[in-house]
Amino acid sequence: MASPIADLTYRNYDGPLEPPINRWWAIAKLSMKLSTKKKGFWAWSTLSAFWYIILLIFFYFTETVVSNVGAVGQKASPINNLIWKDQFLNAFGESQLFLFILALLMGAGTIANDNRAKALLVYLSKPCSKLDYVIGKWLGIFVPMTIVTAVPALIFYMYCLMSYRSAGFWTQDPWLIVRLLGMILIPGTLYSSITLAISSMFQQGRLAGGVFAGVYFISYFITLAMEGAYVSMSMGGSNPPGIVKGLFYCSVDGLQAAMAKIILHTNGSPKLPIPGGAKFQVPEPSTFIFVPAFFGVCALSLLIAWSQIRAVEVVR
Amino acid sequence: MITATNVSRWYGQVIGVNDINCEIGPGITALLGMNGAGKTTLIRLITGQLRPTTGDLRVFGLEPFANPDVYRRMGYCPEIDNFYEHYTGRDFVRYLARLDGMSASVGNARTDEVIDMVGMSERANRKIAGYSKGMRQRIKLAQAMLHNPDLILLDEPLNGLDPVGRREFMDLLGGLADQGKAILVSSHILFEVEQMTRSLLLLHRGRLLATGDLGVIRSLIDTHPHQIRIETDEPRRAAALLAELPNIVSMKFDRSGDAVQLEVREPAAFYDALAAAVLEKGLTIRGFSSPDNNLESVFKYLVEA
Amino acid sequence: MSVATIQNLVVRYGNFTALNGLSCEISEGCTGLLGPNGAGKTTLIKTILGFIKPTSGTATVLGYDIEAAGTAIRQKVGLMPEQDCHIPGTTAVQFVAYAGELAGMPGDQAIRRAHEVLDYCGLGEARYRNVETYSTGMKQRIKLAQALVHGPKLLLLDEPTNGLDPAGREEMLELVRSVSHGKGLSVIVSSHLLPDIERVCDRVVVVMQGQLRAQGTIKDLKKIEGRPVDIELRDPSPAFVTAMQAQGAVVMPPKRTTYRIQLPGLPEEVAKIAMQVARDSGAQVRGFVIAERSLEDAFLEAISAK
Repeated sequence: MASPIADLTYRNYDGPLEPPINRWWAIAKLSMKLSTKKKGFWAWSTLSAFWYIILLIFFYFTETVVSNVGAVGQKASPINNLIWKDQFLNAFGESQLFLFILALLMGAGTIANDNRAKALLVYLSKPCSKLDYVIGKWLGIFVPMTIVTAVPALIFYMYCLMSYRSAGFWTQDPWLIVRLLGMILIPGTLYSSITLAISSMFQQGRLAGGVFAGVYFISYFITLAMEGAYVSMSMGGSNPPGIVKGLFYCSVDGLQAAMAKIILHTNGSPKLPIPGGAKFQVPEPSTFIFVPAFFGVCALSLLIAWSQIRAVEVVR
Repeated sequence: MITATNVSRWYGQVIGVNDINCEIGPGITALLGMNGAGKTTLIRLITGQLRPTTGDLRVFGLEPFANPDVYRRMGYCPEIDNFYEHYTGRDFVRYLARLDGMSASVGNARTDEVIDMVGMSERANRKIAGYSKGMRQRIKLAQAMLHNPDLILLDEPLNGLDPVGRREFMDLLGGLADQGKAILVSSHILFEVEQMTRSLLLLHRGRLLATGDLGVIRSLIDTHPHQIRIETDEPRRAAALLAELPNIVSMKFDRSGDAVQLEVREPAAFYDALAAAVLEKGLTIRGFSSPDNNLESVFKYLVEA
Repeated sequence: MSVATIQNLVVRYGNFTALNGLSCEISEGCTGLLGPNGAGKTTLIKTILGFIKPTSGTATVLGYDIEAAGTAIRQKVGLMPEQDCHIPGTTAVQFVAYAGELAGMPGDQAIRRAHEVLDYCGLGEARYRNVETYSTGMKQRIKLAQALVHGPKLLLLDEPTNGLDPAGREEMLELVRSVSHGKGLSVIVSSHLLPDIERVCDRVVVVMQGQLRAQGTIKDLKKIEGRPVDIELRDPSPAFVTAMQAQGAVVMPPKRTTYRIQLPGLPEEVAKIAMQVARDSGAQVRGFVIAERSLEDAFLEAISAK
């Protein structure tokens, strides 16, 4: 019988419980909730789409000019000379810096701050395992990062599919959508793995962020230097050696560019319509080196994270 | 050794301590209060880390703020433990000994001495990073005693010590007090304080609420009459015998029926009457005690008043 | 019924042996886990939760084997760790609800239950604030709340009153006491503050150097052979002592004004004699109780025994 006075002292929880398989989802969910609460997340995500916007503006002006001049005729419109998948590649290349900042924002503190707050004691004293923790934290970066990459790319794809079939958008590569879906997964996969590894090595988010930024920019200088070397050699008429082409892809950015080129199966084309510009593009790298390298880096990072995450500090 | 006259200190709008008047002499004095009562502010004022906003504070007759002459005679064991984690305990203390101005050889000898006093001789050569809380507390105390100061201030020194360590620590402090040193200990843990000293300084919201001997303070709390619990097989008869006394305020029977709880003013007269009831009226009792005659109750009464 | 049975448990970290063949039985209700620093208390707690694999020996917690069923154990055990811990960037409600979700509660239930537990732990409006801004007392409360949120059957508390001021400590002990009695929840409290243990626990287990030193109810541990009594006088009185000794009493050295006296006979009779003697020697008896050892003395004796 229920008493007229409710007993508000402690009582046990006897409500429903989820099966223990999807604990990682709770972890991923919180990570995403916390990331999307940051204003920076939205600002940098929007900015990462800027190249698509530039392209759209370019298309708009070209079309206006073409229809005004009229007489020049359809054939001469620069839109007809575009290699469509390279536009996605270029937009991807331009968004990389912003995606890096997003990764910094979401990923650098993900484990480091937990280390500082000793949050692992909470996680691991509940019925969830280290695997749940790693998967949850990984997805917590991977999912938003992938969505941020995917949304502008897919919108642009739909727009072009509607508007530029006549300009060869469909016929150039009917499989483009599949390739795009592959490309979209690149930054999420790489960044979530690397940031987990770096974050797990520190007690403070800022330190981890600093180190991550260091790794990113130092390796980026390699890519820049190699690009410079490649262009000047090409201008000089000589064929740049393989080592330059290889090293070009040996950075956080380069590795993603390599994967993108492999997936899109293209050498890339210049962002500005310079005549003969195509020969300054570093060509598509070897699939057999860079696909294993990409996944190797991811696996190694996850391994580092795995070994760094400990429930208890062993004090002697 | 310490004399405070109308000492106040505030930080912007936040009041730290408000109009403190007190004197602290040799022996152990306990500094009590809730979190945020101003204990740490008072200690910082005495150690010269802060200057009183108003009022006059003298330590050994001098103003302590930025005054090395005072520091030379004062040891301080802060609450926070910030160390050079990669130093060993011994190196840390030795380094501070050199900062005290001791020569290398005197410093080494003195370091070994104080480390031995706090019972860390065997563990002093390990890195501080691997120390437990109790070991850190010992090293902090060791460095406070280095220059053989006349006044030692300890902020929560017993935090994190196990019962064995706590007892050793208290004995050590007792020994120092017997040598005529003044020791001011702040603590949250009242039963520890009670084992160390009966001399109190109670702060509440920045004000000095009580100072002096525990027994005296207790007898002056008029709002809460003394509680006395009598265990007896005949509680109602005991009540009937005692009810005539004018200074009994209330009586309550235990549910179990073998005890009676009284509230009494002027306990001296009551205890005589109780003895009379037992000896002359043949009341049999198994025992009696006063459950609120301890620091914990005194603290509660004072702070909640 | 026992909530945990530990047999010959050995835990080593490299060369260091933290638990060295510990065997004990922890029964329902509230148990204090005592021992000096480095005795292996925290290691025991971590082993019970499956953070550390034992080198040898077995243990069952709530009927589950610790090596085989770590997850099942953690589903039914709540841990309040010694260190401050929280999930960075969350409010108390989010934090506690999240802890519930980690234990498998559906999101909506977790929020509801989080509020319930926070009410229970006495955290008011501050629950909507970021955990990082909390005072020590509030941090202790949310640590307890996150340990209780999933309705555990066994609660492990590691130094629950650390850093609390007298009022906070009182409330925390009251909380622990109320959850551990009559709610079907067993509690193991590890603490250095023996009066705290005395307030909330019924039984204690004393561990030292990784081995069991003593276990039993607090009442038994505190009992003294020969039933001496403690008599408190208003002022120290040597006359009282001599007179008592003349009555055939054994008088131990006094502590302030409390004399421990051993005299054959029922306490009622001893009380009468003592009062008579006191009156004759001009002293006033202020307290008369059957002497008990403090838990501290009992503990110190247990760990110094070889």
